[in-house]
Amino acid sequence: MRNRASNTLSKGKIRQSWSKYNLYNMQRFRSPSTTNRTFFQQKWSAKAASRAYHGEQVREGQWKRMFNHRIRSVIPMNASDLAADDGSLVSSGRGSGLDKGGKPAYQKRPIPYTHMTFAPLERRLDVAIFRALFASSARQARQFVIHGAVTVNGQKMKHPSYLLNPGDLFQVDPDRVLYATGHTKTPYERRQGRLARRSAKEQRSEEAEAAQEAEDSKETAKEGTKEAEKEDTKETLKALLAQARSVMSAGKNTLAPQRKQELRGFQQAVRRVLSRSESSTVLADSLEAQFSQLTLLLKAKRSEKKPDKKDVKPRPEDAFATDKGDAAVASAKKDAEPAASDKLSEAFAQATLGNEVDASELSEEEFDTLKRALTQMRDNPLDNSKTYSTPWQPRQYMSAFAFIPRYLEVNQNICAAVYLRHPVARPGSAEVPTPFGESIATPAYGWYLRRRW
Amino acid sequence: MPPRMQSRSVSNTLLPYLTATSSYSSSLSSIPSLSSTSSQCLSRQFSATAAPQAQTKLRRQMFEWLNNEGSVFKHHVPGETNYLTRLKQRGNEGSESPRPFPNNQNFFSEPILSEELRNEVYNRVVEQKKSVRVVSVELGIDMKRIAAVVRLVELEKRQRAQGKPLALPYARAVHEMVPTTPLAEKGERQTYHEPINDLPAHPLTGSQIFYPVPESRSFNRVEAGRVFSGAPAMEHSEAAEISHPSDLAEKIMEDANSIGWVGKGANARQILQPADVRIPHPHLVALERDRLTHPNERLAVSDLQSKRLERQDAIEKERRERLQARREKKTTIVSPEDSRFDYRIKDTIYTTETTGVDGRGSKATGRRYGVPHRDRTRGEVKIPTRVEA
Repeated sequence: MRNRASNTLSKGKIRQSWSKYNLYNMQRFRSPSTTNRTFFQQKWSAKAASRAYHGEQVREGQWKRMFNHRIRSVIPMNASDLAADDGSLVSSGRGSGLDKGGKPAYQKRPIPYTHMTFAPLERRLDVAIFRALFASSARQARQFVIHGAVTVNGQKMKHPSYLLNPGDLFQVDPDRVLYATGHTKTPYERRQGRLARRSAKEQRSEEAEAAQEAEDSKETAKEGTKEAEKEDTKETLKALLAQARSVMSAGKNTLAPQRKQELRGFQQAVRRVLSRSESSTVLADSLEAQFSQLTLLLKAKRSEKKPDKKDVKPRPEDAFATDKGDAAVASAKKDAEPAASDKLSEAFAQATLGNEVDASELSEEEFDTLKRALTQMRDNPLDNSKTYSTPWQPRQYMSAFAFIPRYLEVNQNICAAVYLRHPVARPGSAEVPTPFGESIATPAYGWYLRRRW
Repeated sequence: MPPRMQSRSVSNTLLPYLTATSSYSSSLSSIPSLSSTSSQCLSRQFSATAAPQAQTKLRRQMFEWLNNEGSVFKHHVPGETNYLTRLKQRGNEGSESPRPFPNNQNFFSEPILSEELRNEVYNRVVEQKKSVRVVSVELGIDMKRIAAVVRLVELEKRQRAQGKPLALPYARAVHEMVPTTPLAEKGERQTYHEPINDLPAHPLTGSQIFYPVPESRSFNRVEAGRVFSGAPAMEHSEAAEISHPSDLAEKIMEDANSIGWVGKGANARQILQPADVRIPHPHLVALERDRLTHPNERLAVSDLQSKRLERQDAIEKERRERLQARREKKTTIVSPEDSRFDYRIKDTIYTTETTGVDGRGSKATGRRYGVPHRDRTRGEVKIPTRVEA
């Protein structure tokens, strides 16, 4: 299928996409005028505008077969209203209640039925993936499905037009989601990735040669692996620090300001320790010692609460702080930044000297922030082999399109979502996300009401 | 090598010169432009105006907007939504839930469950073994959503144990961009996530019916349901038994077959029940009624409610088990020792209901004479319509 879903400026159509062109088009979109136009013309242009957004990847005939004039709606009921009146109060007298006073206040807002015209399309797998914020456009979601990165109820599903049933669980490969929603790589990063790949290839070929030689002497190899393990921990620690540096130097323009502050505070603390260690003629080797010491300290602190938590892989508790608590901490940290980092660096220094750190000096919150910065770096590592820019950041203009409709329940950690039920309309709101107002929705619904084929 | 035609506009007469070797063409001073710079010449041939060097007007306008007004959308502020509507927002509009689309007044960005609330749901259902219905009322979350959350958290735990890759930074970013329902602090009231007692609008209620009733008669929801479904009015004795429509809810819970039918054969359908029966949490209405009748006996009312919920859970569990048993009785499962598959064998029933009057029903089992195979019929959708969980 040829992709005609380009975000052209001259046409100004709104698409299911997070592109900045689309954002601009959405912002300047005005409903077509109705003066001096026949009903047919009005309906035609309303249909054209809404079909450019809703399932432009679906052929018109296919969509017409899916269309249903009957629209699902619900009325939220209040249990106390139902208990107070069995309905006879409302119907008493001449059928509409005796007086205004005694009746319960039922919802009076109109139900926007015609906004739900394209509800059947929301059942499609590709659209649902886009709605769950796993892809940056419905077209990309479609590609993910075709390329085999999507499972439904644990089985690979290769049909983008699969209609989800209530209760279906769909899951997208997390790497694809990070690629779709993350920043693109800069040419520099791409080059680094190429170099890394090349060196890895060379290493592999060397190892293959070495493996043939090493088959004779297995004992020496065993010792070697032990050393390699030690080296590995060192390498990871080194990488951690290098990453903290590169995050701040490379992504200056692209980082969200809040995140930037958080990282900068952390980096300051580390730098202070570095300067001290240099003055006491400790070389780069001790840097890792500091880090391992630090992590040891952290683990000791943690172990009072959770003894089993001691590994390289991140845990959810510290890896994931919620937005509001996080924002509050971040804003609180703004004021107390220098003091906190001072204390941290003192703790670092004492750790390097081998003294026991007085845990009472470091508050729980400070430990938390430090730990979060560390774990965040571990969760979101610098890895040029990935297809997206690392450390991962949300792509630009994503937030303007970020919403999750009620008929989906999404778990972002594993990039899985459940299609709970079909979208419904309720008084004052409709669940089908559509950028068009009533002046487009109603004529478009009217267009499909009449059978023209 | 045969001569290659460079462009249709080059006449045949020039062909030998064009394909000649460079030494030969250099000696020919009459057509140097055609041979050496032919590609540049030909590309410009049909266009009198020069290609626009600068951006088009639309493009310029777009980047102007993106750099000025639109620059706020480039990055998000954690904990706040960042939708297009913020450009035209006035001071007092902030109290409503945010709208992502400026033209659509009827679509709102609804909050999602925060990570803690999600874990709390899992904790209450799986570890504290509370029923989904109870947790739904406690936290104000739809029962379907609770089931989905338990499923998703279970899956997440499994994936973590297996060491599969997770999208943690992505999850963090999304929770920063989208409104969330937080878990209440200890001692505080939990804010409800969504309305839990949604009554689906039944298609039968769409029609406008003129139904004259004497003013002296009380006309309640039970009777309205009968009118909508075209059932005759109840006997006086039957109607007198029902003091409030929510009585029917308990009756139907005990015995699902107590709902009457109207129509015959294929047109038979159940009588439309009042809202008190069709909402997801009918027990809440009963609770409210208890509260109204016994306003001063809080403990007794809550006691009664917990008993009611227990009874309901027991009945539902029994029904589920009965269904499962019936299903198991119908099928025999054969699992050979060295096979990857289980074979579920069902007995085929040949009756007029399953095979049709002439024995050729399109949905009947097996190959039947004169009935084309399903995938040969016109318009048959060949992609799966469901995936078994």
